[in-house]
Parts: sequence; structure tokens; C-alpha cells
Amino acid sequence: MLPGLLLIPVLAFFIVWNTIPTLWLLGLSFYRFSLTSGRAPIYAGLLNFQNILNDSGVWLDLSRTLLFVVSGVGIQTVLGVALGLLFWNSGRLPGRRVALTLLFAPMVLTPVASGTFWRLIYDPTFGVLNAMLRGVGLSGANFLGDSSTAFAAVLVVDVWMWTPFMVLMTMAALASVPKAELEAAEIDQLSWMQRMRLVLLHHGKYILMLGILLRTIDSFKTMDLIYNMTFGGPGTTTQLVAITLYRRAFEAFNMGWSSALAVILLLISIAFTATFIFVLHWRDKADA
Amino acid sequence: MTIRPPTDLAGVNRRTLLTGTAALAAAAGLAYPRHVFSQTEKNHPLAGKSIRMAILGIAGWLPSKLGVDMSPDFAKYAKARYGYDVSFSFADAPFGQLFQKAATSLATRSAEYNIIISDSQWLGALATPKWIVPLNDIIAKNKELDIEWFAPVVRQAYQTFPDGTANRYGFPQEGDTIALFIRKDLLDAPGEADAFKARYNMEMPKTWEDFEKLSIEDYTKLAEFFTRPDKGYHGAAMQYSREYDFISCPLLSFMRSQGGDVWDPKTGQVQGILDTASNARAMEQYKAMLKYQPPGAINYGIAEIVDVFAQGKAFSAWQWAAVGKAMITPAMQGKVLVVPPPGFKQADGSLKRDYIIGGQPWVLNAFNDDAHARVALDFMKWWYLPETQMEFAKRGGNPCDKATLSAEGFDDLQPWYRTYKYMLPRSSDFWHDPKYSEMLAVQQEAFTAYATGQINDPAHALAYVACKQQDILFDSGTASKQPSGACAGIRL
Repeated sequence: MLPGLLLIPVLAFFIVWNTIPTLWLLGLSFYRFSLTSGRAPIYAGLLNFQNILNDSGVWLDLSRTLLFVVSGVGIQTVLGVALGLLFWNSGRLPGRRVALTLLFAPMVLTPVASGTFWRLIYDPTFGVLNAMLRGVGLSGANFLGDSSTAFAAVLVVDVWMWTPFMVLMTMAALASVPKAELEAAEIDQLSWMQRMRLVLLHHGKYILMLGILLRTIDSFKTMDLIYNMTFGGPGTTTQLVAITLYRRAFEAFNMGWSSALAVILLLISIAFTATFIFVLHWRDKADA
Repeated sequence: MTIRPPTDLAGVNRRTLLTGTAALAAAAGLAYPRHVFSQTEKNHPLAGKSIRMAILGIAGWLPSKLGVDMSPDFAKYAKARYGYDVSFSFADAPFGQLFQKAATSLATRSAEYNIIISDSQWLGALATPKWIVPLNDIIAKNKELDIEWFAPVVRQAYQTFPDGTANRYGFPQEGDTIALFIRKDLLDAPGEADAFKARYNMEMPKTWEDFEKLSIEDYTKLAEFFTRPDKGYHGAAMQYSREYDFISCPLLSFMRSQGGDVWDPKTGQVQGILDTASNARAMEQYKAMLKYQPPGAINYGIAEIVDVFAQGKAFSAWQWAAVGKAMITPAMQGKVLVVPPPGFKQADGSLKRDYIIGGQPWVLNAFNDDAHARVALDFMKWWYLPETQMEFAKRGGNPCDKATLSAEGFDDLQPWYRTYKYMLPRSSDFWHDPKYSEMLAVQQEAFTAYATGQINDPAHALAYVACKQQDILFDSGTASKQPSGACAGIRL
């Protein structure tokens, strides 16, 4: 009886703040409703979904988001693993704690603050990056204002911000490797590559995959960082699908259309989550 | 009962005491507005009560801040005239987020903000769901609020929705127009005028009157002449940012001043009106100005222009008059001339200026209870008192009423007032439609796509905007015609 009662607060919280809004969102996605129209919502069936699927702009935003996720998470993983290996077994390295603290700092900053100061760093007139480039005799660039460089410029900031997370996951993965196996590899005189593949990756791959999946889900939702740097511009160069959703929902107040888009994005996120749960089960089975 | 002087004044001559008292009373009477004493309302329903009011305004915007800064004066006035105590709290948000903050609060029928400083284009979006108070009846009952404005555009832009009707929803808080801020010290530097004449075979404009006659072509020469990256400054600074309506306001000014338009407010028709060859040329013209601007101008919004101008990196800047105080920093005092932005040559050789208007109205929350609604009304009456408006002007706000703007010496109160007055009748607003923000988002997206080189054809950018806006307006029932077949699958 008591364990059941103890569940009530968390269940109530979940129902009030999660289940009801999600159901509300789902319901609203079948209506034509603008908050500023002064009219009651009109049932429209699947019209919003149909409009979204026929909207080439949304598809372009989705493809841009996919590119952002794949390239961002890919670079973060490679860099994160490299840095994680660098710090592995570095307990006696002087200044290790300071170095790790500095390394993890970007991850704990709010994206809005990061976006603001990176916008200033990139500024072609006052920015420190251009000042440095000019200092070494190079011509400056308008990183965020030029449609050929803006996407790469925001990607760099995302990588700077979230590589520490992959470092953390790599260090956790490396910590999970049994010491005995490392010693055995040492005795067997395995090469570095063999040790990586047969020992480290074998034990650490689940934690690394978890990190990649969490980053993928998070990266898919990126909005605040980019919105603060470019507002999705120049043109639509950095407009990810979450920015489109924010704009339609909270600038244009087109609640029906944006609810439908939110439902589609929710389904995509659920697909990521399902993969994540599958990986966890896969690990359990393998361990068994 | 006989009043006797206190004992410690026993040594003071009785005549001196009486004379002094009379003088003090007279001074107090002169110091305080006379009507406070002559029109005190003894039976005000809130007399003796304490009210707390909340204002929502624009962050970092001087005229908005002045409305807030001056509110303690209203508290004194209200106490003296109506007999109640009032205090104010303030919330703000930048332009891009203010509507969101107001709308999400009002949508829940909240009276969290009793008075809101709205942007002019939002009147439709706030009035249609009945979130703000319709003012026709209130103005009819309170004739002091039926104010004669300096130009008809004040009523059209800050009060009226739908366009062309007599329905009023806003009280002008501040007026605003685009002005051209010029570095006079660079203009007057020795040898510059001769060098300019030698290069362009024309006199360099130097006075306000010279700039009044300046066409966009001649201004371009001036911008080119003063583009000197080797010396750390460029000829111009204009807005190109995708944020809010930053690129739209000056670009639509280029279009309208050359005979273009954005829509027909009566029919909601956009296609065929926005996507014209004339508007496409205006876009090319506006983009071409980038070569006379500092690197990064493509990201410039209001704040960035303040920065580059105040730091001496631009010879001229197209900027809202409202931020004149920020543009003319103490270091820039005496070095800046504020003049009308260039005119556009018409077929008959005349110059036309049809610029986008800035500025904001006050709107009153429809969910205020009786007490807060009454205080909001009293506040508005106080706001439009001649002495309040003059004080607003002295502090750098931009009043809109004819009496203040026509007062002797008004033009000299602030460096930009002469230009502001000149530009007010030459400015107009764009849509007041409830779908304003949705239409703006599409427009900003396409205009910046062209300006930044994401797409190279201005006609395509305009066609995209026209299709999308036509669709939005048709969907909302404002436009009778749906987008044409050419719109199928159109994308940037």
C-alpha cells in the first residue's frame, strides 16, 4: 500500500505537466486555431499535417536539421573520444582538475549566454576573432552574416559547447573497463589498436552509444543557441526545424499548425528514444 | 479661533512673517500645476485607496523608459487631484519578444499588465481577440483625450484598427520616424567639400536644407565618398538584420518612396502589389548600399547601428529618431547633424519620401478590474496634459500632439526634433492585420535571403513573400483571393 502511495506525487506531477499538455497538443493539432484571430478553434482533421507535409520549407528545415545533427554529433563524438583518451589515467597530471573544469565549462553555460557572446566574438566590426585574423594579416570574415559560412559558424559553437559532454561519456566508458582485462591486455602485449577494439570499445561502447543518442535527441531540438546568434538567418541558412516551430507557435501564434509540427517532431524524438531503449536492452541481453 | 505665531517666532516682525507666508504660498501655487488645485475631483471613486499598476514596455527603448520614469509624477498628480495613492511596477522585453510576452499573458485573460506599450502594427492582433479596450466610447466621454495630432498618420498608425475605420484602440505613447544621422565634423573637415565637388561635380550638402533636397542618388555619392576603410569608417549604416522588422522598415521605405506598395488593406491582396518590378529594383538598390557600410552590416539592427555610429565607424546612419540620445553620445555632442533621409526622384523631377513610421501606442488591458481601468484612464489624461508632453519632449521622448510639436522652441529641444517633425507627415505604417507577425516572419526571411546572397533574384524573393502572405491572408479570411497557381511549391 505504502509504495503505491509514494508514487502518487510523481504520478500527479507527470500527469499534470506531461500527459495532459501532450494530449492537449495532440488535440489542437487537428484544429485550425490562431491565438490572435479571436475565433474559436475549427476542427480541420488532418489538414495541418497535410499542409506541413506539402510545405517545402519544412522539408528544407528538416534536412538542415539532419545535417546539423549528423555533422555536429559526429564531430563531437570524435573530438570527445580523443580528449577522453587524453585524460584517461591522467590522475597524476599536474593541473588536471583545472583543465577538466575549463573543458566542461561550455557545457554548463546556458545556450542563450553562449549564443550572445559567440555572436560578439564573430562580429566582423568589433569581434575578437576578426581582430585576431587581422592581427596575423588575414582579412576578416562575416561569419554569421555570410550565407556560405553561417551554418559552419553555428556548428562550431555547438561543437564547442557539447564536445565536453562526449568527453564525459568517454571517461565514464573508460572507467567501466575492468582493470583485470587491461592488465591481461598488457601481459598479452596487445597493440594499441587491439586494446582499443577488444577491450576499451568492447566494454565502453554502450555508454558511448548512450552519449551519442542523448546528444542526437538534444541536438535535434537545438533552438536557443542559434536563435540568439542568427535568428535562423541569413535568409534560412541556419533555420533548424525547432526555430520554425518556435516562430510559428510563439511569434505567429498559429497554434494548430505548430501543434501538428510539434506532434511530428515528437514522433521523431520518440523514434530516437525507442532506439535508445533498444540499445539498453541490447546491452542487458549481451551482459546476460 | 485665533491663530498665534509660535513662541520661537515671537521676535519676528509680524509684517515680515505675513509677507513671507504670502510669498511662500504664491510660490507653491506657481510651482504646482494650477489645474491640480482648480480641478481637484472630490468624489473620485478611488479617493483614499491605494492601487498598484503594472506597465509592460520595450526593453532598452528610451521613450518607453521615459513613460516609466515619469510615472512617479503621475503618482503625485493622482494624490493631489484624485486623492488616491498609486505605485507602478514595470516589466519589459525587447521588440522581438514583447508581443509574445503580452499575448501569452492576455490570452489567459490576465490583468498582469494593466497598461501595455505595444508596437503600432500589433493593434489588430491585440484588438481582434478583444484583449485591449476599444477607445471610441471612452474618448467620446472624455473629450480631453480627443487630441489634435500633428499629422493624420498618428491616428492611423497608433490608434486605428481596422485600417480606414474610425475604431480606435491605442493612445500614442511616442511617435517615431527614420532619420539620417550625419557626422557634421567629417562633412566640415577642410578640403572635403572641394574634393567632393571635384569628384562628383556637385556641391557637398552641408545644411539641413541641403539634405532636404538630397536624392538617394546623391546620398549614395556621399556614402561612397566617405567610405574610407583605411581610416576606420564607412559611408553608411543601415538595417539588414533578420530580427523582428529590422530589414523591412528601411527596405519598404525604399519601395514606397518609389511608388511601390506591400498590399491592399481593403481586399487583403498582396500578389500583384508587392511582387512588382519597381519593388524588385528597390531591393537591388537597398542591397547595393551594403558596399558603403562596415563589414557585418548585413547583421545590423537598431543596437548595432547605435554602436557603429557612436564609435565613429560610420559617416552616416539611418536610424529611428527615438534613439537619438543613444546615437549622440557625449563624445559626439556637436559633431552630429540629424537630417531627413534622402528623397526619391519621381517622374516629374520632384523628391518623394514615404518612409515607414516607427513609434508605439499605449493600449489598455481589457481584463483590468474597474479600479485599474480607472487609474489607467487617469494616467492617459495626465499623459496628454500639455506640461506632461512638454516634459516628455524635454527628456527626449517624441510627442505626437500638435500643441507640443507646434510650441515655440520645440525644434531646438532635441537635435532630431526638426527632422522628426518633418518626417512624421511623410511616414506611414504597414499592416495592422492580426496575422502581422506571421506575415512579417516570411518577409524578413525572404528579404534577408536576398540581401545575404542566399538567393540572387529579388523578383523571386518578392514572389515568394507575396505567395506566402497571400496564403496567410486568404487562410485567415482577410483576402478574398487565394494564391495563384504560380505559388505551388514556391520556395526560397
